[in-house]
Amino acid sequence: MSSTTAARSTEVTVELRVNGRTYPARLDSTTTLLDALRDELHLTGTKKGCDQGACGACTVLRDGKRIVSCLTLAAQCDGSEITTIEGLADDGVPHPVQEAFVRHDALQCGYCTAGQVMSAVALLREGRAHTDDEIREFMSGNLCRCAAYPNIVAAIREVADS
Amino acid sequence: MTTTLTKQSLLGRPIDRIDGRRKVAGAAPYPSDFDLPGQAHAALVSSTIANGRITRIDRSAAEAAPGVLLVLTRDNAPAVADPPMSNLGSTMRWYFRDDRILHYGQHIGIVVAGTRAQAQAAARLVEVEYAAEEPVLDLDDPRATIEENPYGLDSSRGDAAAALDAADVTVDSTYTIGAEINSPMGLFTTVASWQGGRLVVHDTTQFPSMVRASLAAMFGVPERDVRVLIPFLGGGFGAGLRLWSHTVLTTMAARELDRPVKLVLTRPQMFSSTGHRAASRQRMRLGATQDGRLVAIDHDAVAANGIGDMLPAPIEMGTPMAYACDNVATHERRAHLNIAFTGFMRAPGSVELHFALESALDELAGKLGIDPVELRLRNYAEVHPESGKPWSSKALRECLTVGADRFGWSGRDPSPRSTRDGDLLVGQGMAEASFDFYAQPCTVRLSVDRGGNALVRTGATDIGTGTYTITAQLTADLLGIEVDQVRVELGDTDLPPAPQSGGSGLAGALGAAVKDAAAALGERLARLDGRPGETIASLLDRHGLDELSATGHSDLPAAAATTDLAVAGPFAATFAEVGVDEELGVVRVRRLVSVIDGGRLYNEKTARSQIIGGTVMGIGAALLEEAAYDPHTGRVANGTFGDYLMAVNADVPDLDITFVGGPDAFNPVGTKGLGEIGIVAVAPAIANAVHHATGRRIRDLPITLDKLL
Repeated sequence: MSSTTAARSTEVTVELRVNGRTYPARLDSTTTLLDALRDELHLTGTKKGCDQGACGACTVLRDGKRIVSCLTLAAQCDGSEITTIEGLADDGVPHPVQEAFVRHDALQCGYCTAGQVMSAVALLREGRAHTDDEIREFMSGNLCRCAAYPNIVAAIREVADS
Repeated sequence: MTTTLTKQSLLGRPIDRIDGRRKVAGAAPYPSDFDLPGQAHAALVSSTIANGRITRIDRSAAEAAPGVLLVLTRDNAPAVADPPMSNLGSTMRWYFRDDRILHYGQHIGIVVAGTRAQAQAAARLVEVEYAAEEPVLDLDDPRATIEENPYGLDSSRGDAAAALDAADVTVDSTYTIGAEINSPMGLFTTVASWQGGRLVVHDTTQFPSMVRASLAAMFGVPERDVRVLIPFLGGGFGAGLRLWSHTVLTTMAARELDRPVKLVLTRPQMFSSTGHRAASRQRMRLGATQDGRLVAIDHDAVAANGIGDMLPAPIEMGTPMAYACDNVATHERRAHLNIAFTGFMRAPGSVELHFALESALDELAGKLGIDPVELRLRNYAEVHPESGKPWSSKALRECLTVGADRFGWSGRDPSPRSTRDGDLLVGQGMAEASFDFYAQPCTVRLSVDRGGNALVRTGATDIGTGTYTITAQLTADLLGIEVDQVRVELGDTDLPPAPQSGGSGLAGALGAAVKDAAAALGERLARLDGRPGETIASLLDRHGLDELSATGHSDLPAAAATTDLAVAGPFAATFAEVGVDEELGVVRVRRLVSVIDGGRLYNEKTARSQIIGGTVMGIGAALLEEAAYDPHTGRVANGTFGDYLMAVNADVPDLDITFVGGPDAFNPVGTKGLGEIGIVAVAPAIANAVHHATGRRIRDLPITLDKLL
């Protein structure tokens, strides 16, 4: 198909399952999961940092695995279980990773934090947080310009060890 | 009296930041999270050349595109007045004032539509024709307009030229630093809404009072009718200290349409729309006696600036104060280039100066055969080298000695290429740093209520440094209540006026204002005839008062002008160990020790985070960060997060950060700012370590592998 500069709209119907709730949505087929979450579902905890999959600020879980939601079309997620930062707490009790991030000051401005936390939760489930070097390596897809990196490592290590 | 610390003092304690829980829950609202009823979405049209003139703009295709409500270019935009100068000496050059193109990515128009996708699609349909010329991008380009002594800071004491001639040993080296982009994670956003003559703007800024004053002047409304809101920022590192054109364009579109308009910059637009650390070149000449006493420092600097733009990035400002040396001369120029407007980036000027000065001292230490730490101690400025006044605080000696001790510096073999670890050459280097005192006046309103809770309000921002937390901590400490009994409201220009969060100046000014407010409140409470040990809650209750308020003010610049002290900023010493793979040219930082004199700390935990952040940005500056300009278009060719390299988690080694020194004698709370000092000594320490490892002196940042091969 040739690309044109004109706005071309093809609507699709998607059933998004996010944080245990089902949201039927009618979206342009090119809508990313990130934009659908923020603009349509008003779940603004997930952040846009680059819109290019290079910073990790938009990290969410899809069927338990971490993905960058800016490089995922919402239409691809029909039938998937999406978890965002808003869905991490259990009945109002923050996830241990969230608690550890606060305790270790693993954040400053907070803009990348949702992505860092989601990435950390997935990393722990992946069972690849045995050493500090492993944590550093497998958290390197999440940029933090405030550079809370050492504290992020400490927070994840604490949860991994507990 | 050396300290007012009591055993129960809350000040300095490493409590968790009070906004941490909101941030880890994704519940802290940043400007891009705000949506207003009836809001339309904007996208920018940007220039694709860096130098020339616009000859024609055709809006018709864009205007006819689906959902488009408005296309504004200089052809149909209303006139605006010039914005005022900010207290940082900068203003904004309004792009629409003429048809000139000054840099790639210059805003040519704004397109507003019902959805963001529609606006972005239509923005591509605006046709622009140019009369293009070759861009001037290089500091050495003879076509560049050069301004001598742009900030009036050129200085001279003694006779540096004669002292250089007479010196036993000299160093004469030139150091360059590439352009670096602030790159906060939060995309800068403006959501503008005119509500019956009153303008309300959610805007990503570190300087809300400046944005308010600027928009009021440009749109011809009283300042009281402009409200700027920024409770959470998404980082700035200086990018939010100027007024940028996207804020004005969005505000203008909202007024033309009489409905709210939202604009979120794209990441590539962040590279050309929100400032950067200007590329610079410095020639540093040092003269010394055989026993390592500095007899001359001659510092010559040139830095890039946008065309028609003016922005202080005073590289030479700290030079005369750095060391005890009788003969010092500084000269600075700026070269106007076809680059996006520069800005302030973490420790502006100070980072540049210390890379040159601390590298040159390392070269001098090598020539003299004197240990680099010892050389700095021999030239230690015990008093202010210009005024002769005693410092309000200076624990730089402890920074050096404690740092050397923690690092294990004394065991270092000074000869280059003396240490190997497998295939790696290992080197150790150090540098010291200072950051000049800076502050602006600040006002706060402090209230206590019958429930014993306090409310502090001021129009400052928390850019991630911990302003909410340290304000609550200080207030609780002064009032004798718990931190969770204090609520802090920031980020709203309807609150009492506060300065920018920048220049490491807010914490000191705000703390002094809070202390003033607490004293005023204490006087009012005292007049209520309190009983010994009686709580504020009970006192108010007994008098049937719901609440009691007081305003506090600080004017540290005025106080600094009359004190007998030389008002000091923070100091630091950084020690780094690197491993260099000589075949690949790859440098990795293996460990790093920084010792900081930040005066009295409000909160040891958030203070440490500030230094970690500065340190890691310093590692990026040393090894990774540089905007590369396409020589023909002037485009930042690596202007994305995929291409502009910054430090990631795996780039950061174990960091050892220690605080030394006591309360500052000038600041009423005893504090000095910490936002910038952490970065300053990092790049020279790493460059010196690379020299120690390899025997090669790299005088050009960043130290990328091509420079070592």
